[in-house]
Amino acid sequence: MLKVLAALAVGAVLAGVASVAVVNVAAPTAEPPNKPLYNYGDR
Amino acid sequence: MRPPFRFVRLGLVWGGPALRPRAVLARFGPAVLGLACGVLALGPALGPGFALRYDMVFVPDPPVRLPGGFPRAVPSDQVVALLSAVVPAEIVQKAILLGLFTLAASGAAALARDALPGGGIVPRLAAAAFYAWNAYLAQRLLIGQWALLLGYAGLPWAVRAAAGGRAGRLTVALLPAAVGGFQAMLVSALTVLPVAALRGGGGGARAVLSSVLRGGAVVGVLSLPWLVPALGSDAAADPAAVAAFAPRADGPFGTLGSLLALGGIWNSHAVVPGQEMPALATARLVLAAAAVAGFVRLGVVPARPAWWPGLAAAACAGVLVACAGAFAPGVPRALIGWWAGFGPLRDGQVYVAPFALAQAAGVAVVAAALRRSMPAPVAAAAVAVPMLALPTFALGAFGRLGTAEYPEEWRRVQAVVNGDPAPGALLSLPWSAYRAFPWNGGRVVLDPATKMFSRPVVWNDALVVGTGGGRRIRVAAESPRARRIGALLAGPAAVPLTGALKREGVRYVLAGGVDENTFLSRLPGATPVYRGPELLLIRL
Repeated sequence: MLKVLAALAVGAVLAGVASVAVVNVAAPTAEPPNKPLYNYGDR
Repeated sequence: MRPPFRFVRLGLVWGGPALRPRAVLARFGPAVLGLACGVLALGPALGPGFALRYDMVFVPDPPVRLPGGFPRAVPSDQVVALLSAVVPAEIVQKAILLGLFTLAASGAAALARDALPGGGIVPRLAAAAFYAWNAYLAQRLLIGQWALLLGYAGLPWAVRAAAGGRAGRLTVALLPAAVGGFQAMLVSALTVLPVAALRGGGGGARAVLSSVLRGGAVVGVLSLPWLVPALGSDAAADPAAVAAFAPRADGPFGTLGSLLALGGIWNSHAVVPGQEMPALATARLVLAAAAVAGFVRLGVVPARPAWWPGLAAAACAGVLVACAGAFAPGVPRALIGWWAGFGPLRDGQVYVAPFALAQAAGVAVVAAALRRSMPAPVAAAAVAVPMLALPTFALGAFGRLGTAEYPEEWRRVQAVVNGDPAPGALLSLPWSAYRAFPWNGGRVVLDPATKMFSRPVVWNDALVVGTGGGRRIRVAAESPRARRIGALLAGPAAVPLTGALKREGVRYVLAGGVDENTFLSRLPGATPVYRGPELLLIRL
C-alpha cells in the first residue's frame, strides 16, 4: 500500500510540474526571428 | 464463410488467439502508441503544407538528382523524390515523420519483449513510450534531421537482427538507416557491430570474427550509396566545427547531465521549450538514472538477452564520442584535421542514440518491477512518465514545428529552371545557407533551392554558429566551388561577375531579397527571366 501511495504521489508531482511547464510555454512569447538570413543556430 | 488462409495462419480470426483483446494489445499496442506519440508530437506539422525547419527541407515535385560535394542527403533525397513522383511530397513527409515514431516505438517494445519474455504488456509499452518520446528524438527533430532519425527508429530492430546473427534480417532492419544516409548508418554501425561481436553463442574468436564481418558487410553494402560519392568527393572538413557542434548544457545539470538525460544538442534553438526548467530536468535525469539502473540489472541476470553486452558497449562508446567534443575537443579536432573522413565526429551528440535504446530497455525492467509490486492500473501509468517529463514536446513543441505552403513564385521559378534543357548550375543567393522566411512563420530553414532544381545548385555551405555576446564560429565551406564563388562574390562591387560565373559553369542565378538595380549592375549581359515579390531569376 505504501508503495502505491508513493507512486501516486510521484505521479501527482510529475503531472503538476508538467502542467506548470505547459502553461509557461503556452503563454505568449516574443515574435519568432524574421530575417532573410540567419545563422545555422546559436550555442 | 471461411476466412482467408493467411488470416487463419496469423491467428487474425475473431476468437483466434491473436484477436483476443490482450493479444491485440500486445501485438499492435506499441505501434499504435508510437503513432499516437507521433501525432501528439508533430501536431501542427501534420496540417496542410510542408514542415520546414533547419535541415528538414521538403519541396514540391523534387527532382531525382545526385548533389555535388559531400553526399549529406544521399540517398534520402533521392528516395523522397522517387516517392514524390507517386504521392505528393508533403504526404511523403508526413508519412516519414509518423513512421519514425511508429517504427521506434514498436522496435523498442520488441527489444523489451526479448529482455523480459513473459513480462506482460506494461514493460513493452513503457519502453515504446520512452524511445518515442525523449529529448534526443525531440531535439534532432527540431533541428530537422529526419534522415538521422530513420536510423534511430530502426535501431532496435537492427540490434535484434544483429544479435540473431542472420544477415538477411539485418539487411531488412537496416533499410531505414540505409535510406537515411551517412549519419543514420554511422549511428547504426556503432551499435550493430558491437552487438554482432559480443552476441555470444559459442565458437570462440573465429565465430566472433565471422559475425562481425557479416554485420560489417551488410553495413558496408548498405552504405555504398553515400560512401562511394563521399570517397570521391573533394569536400573538405573544417576542424573548427568541433567547437561549433560540441554538446552543450541544455539544463541545470551541465553538459554531462544533459547527455545522460539524452539531451545536450549544440543548438540552443533545437531544445524543447521549457526543457531547462529545473523540475523537469530533474525528472528526466531521475528517469535516466532509473533506466540505466534497470539496464545494468538486466545485464546481471543469467538469461540476459544476447544483445545486452553489445548494446552496453555501443551506449558507452556513443556517450564517450559525445563527451569528446565537450571535454576533449582536441581529439576530434586532430582527427578531422588529419583526415576529413572523421568529419562526422564533429556533432558527437548524435552518437547518444544507442544509449537512448539502452535506457529504453532499462525502462522496461523498471516498469516490470513496478508491475510486480503494484496494481496493474498504477503500473500502467508509468507509460505516461516520459511524456510528463518532457510535456512541451507536444503540439510540434508548441509551434516550433508547423507547416507552410511555398509561395507560387517558387513553383514558377522551379518550372522555368527545370524546363530548360541547357546545362549549367544554379547559383543561389543571398550567400548564406539558412533563411527565415516570413511565409514559414520565421522558422529557420535550409535554403529550399538546394533541393528544388534538377541541375547542380551552388550554395554557401559554410556554416555560421553564434556563441553568445555577438561572437560567431564560422565553419568553412566544404565545397571547393562554393569557396571559389564565395571569394568572387566577396570581391569589389565594381567588378562584373558574369564572365567568372560562366567559367564556373553557372547558368542561372536565383536571388532573394536583393536590390535588382544594384545587383544586375554586377551581371552585365545577364537576362532576368522571372521577377517576383521575393525572388529574382537571372539567366547568364
